[in-house]
Amino acid sequence: MTNAPPGSLEPTLRRSVGTATATATSAGLAFAAIDYLGVVSILAYAPGATAAFAVFVGGIIVLLVSSVFSELNGLYPTAAGIRLYLSRAVGNRTALSITFTYMTTVVLVIAADAFLIGAAVRHVLNEPSVLAYLWIVVLLGAALAANLLGVRLAGWLQTIVTYTVLGGTSVLSIVALFHVGGAFHQPLNLFGRSSFSGIQAIAFAVFLYAAFEWVTTTAEEARTPRVITRALFISPVLIWIVATFFTLALTHVVPFATLHGSAYPQILLGRAALGTVGEIWMLALTVLTALNTFNGGFLVASRFIYAAAREGNLPRQFARLNLNAVPWLAVTTLTITSAVVAAVVFATGQWLLLVSVGAAIECGIYAIGSLCLIRLRSRVDRVRPFRLRAGVPLASLGVIVFTTLFLATAFADPKNSTHFSVLPFSVIAVLGAISTAYVWQVVPRLQRAHVARHAAAGPRRRPARPAPEETATQLEE
Amino acid sequence: MADWTELQEALADYSVNCNGNARLRKMQRDWSRVLHFVCSDSDLRFSMDVDHGEITATRLGHEGTPDIVVTTNSETFCDMFWGDLNPVQKYLRGEIQVKGTQEDVMRLDAISYVIWPES
Repeated sequence: MTNAPPGSLEPTLRRSVGTATATATSAGLAFAAIDYLGVVSILAYAPGATAAFAVFVGGIIVLLVSSVFSELNGLYPTAAGIRLYLSRAVGNRTALSITFTYMTTVVLVIAADAFLIGAAVRHVLNEPSVLAYLWIVVLLGAALAANLLGVRLAGWLQTIVTYTVLGGTSVLSIVALFHVGGAFHQPLNLFGRSSFSGIQAIAFAVFLYAAFEWVTTTAEEARTPRVITRALFISPVLIWIVATFFTLALTHVVPFATLHGSAYPQILLGRAALGTVGEIWMLALTVLTALNTFNGGFLVASRFIYAAAREGNLPRQFARLNLNAVPWLAVTTLTITSAVVAAVVFATGQWLLLVSVGAAIECGIYAIGSLCLIRLRSRVDRVRPFRLRAGVPLASLGVIVFTTLFLATAFADPKNSTHFSVLPFSVIAVLGAISTAYVWQVVPRLQRAHVARHAAAGPRRRPARPAPEETATQLEE
Repeated sequence: MADWTELQEALADYSVNCNGNARLRKMQRDWSRVLHFVCSDSDLRFSMDVDHGEITATRLGHEGTPDIVVTTNSETFCDMFWGDLNPVQKYLRGEIQVKGTQEDVMRLDAISYVIWPES
């Protein structure tokens, strides 16, 4: 591999991404509609204003993730980065199993957002609950059509959408805080519920920032490697500010009993703060989050599926392109899977389970990322544009912290904060087992078929080069 | 290590295959880009102009502001342009490096995929 060392001539691209756009991409990928629900999960373990403290601690921990992914991204500044550093650190098959499981979070987030937006729209329009599913189908259908037609959200539009969502949520939250008054209840009661509740609150707080690291998939279009590093450090700060305002406002104006049974806490906050205007305000912002989730989520996941199919790790049908150069089967499969997951959530009312599963998988990925950094410190001796100081001790701490947070969320009871449940862990175990079985049983067969097809396609097209001695003889003659 | 003459031959064949493929031309109808290539094992650098999916020029040296920059060794470039290797496999192993938008990276691979689906 030939990585250009820092200081070498970096090519200047006609279309490249700067810090503002990369930060917006990172924050936009992280701040989805499911984050509003994530705040409710934090409140279940950290009552009142303590939840804001949990968001702060979660943010500090996430800065460690920023450092780890900055170093890994500097080593492998490519959209395929996660595959590369995972396979270098833990081997190709394990890397593939982890990546497949990781990608399921994309489906979960898309499905969750579709469900949450559908539920919010139905609530504001005062329609029967069954119509929520109609809205889910409409949203996913629109996302599918836009993707198949090759419609992409331009970078500048994505930036505007992200800052509108972040700014709009902050402004309404501040209005709510002024509207109601200033007393902060239970500001430091992190372990008030149980000895483990603080850890669980922090684990769910980390989930608010989750997916911000996906900005590393845009490393190839970044103006310089430092652009991604800056985005990785700035976007958690932005999310921390917005999430803090939202959490404080929510805990002030909406009783927790009302929040816990609701799939649209942001709408309840809007109504409590500004009545119908606030409700419509928050509904508009919720719909806007879908633009980022669907645009970014579909793009990342469908391109991953395309690459995996081209590599011979998924059936090659998934690499088929339509006339807009879109991998149509990958996009369609993603949409159908998301619609099915959303339907199951709709039928069972288990939306908080999605938060627990998503939070646990992300914490698991952060633990694995930290492990990769440790392993690659000894295995890859290459100049890193960003090098974490005291990297090995800090990454070791990361492995311990994120493994603990993984367990805290994987065994959280989504519906009762005073109980533990094996349900989230079971879902993750099933997803992981399916991925691993697929990688060990199906992928070798696909690879053999791939090699056989390549061999059957005929001999090398490239003309054979004359051997050096032949060339010398010809020259003599 | 391949020289410019070998690369030229490979590029000529690649251009013929690309420009003669009706489905590919239709797929890339709105794709006009300047591509720069850098051989990591020599000083060789070359460019390619694509206008609405048609390769209109390939030349030694870098000209214009690129939309995409591809870096790998000259042998890999030759094999890639002759359709003897799967660029995605090399890319996922870190042996081919690309600077450009995700969309452009995929469009570039789509050329090889549509011309040589079995590669």
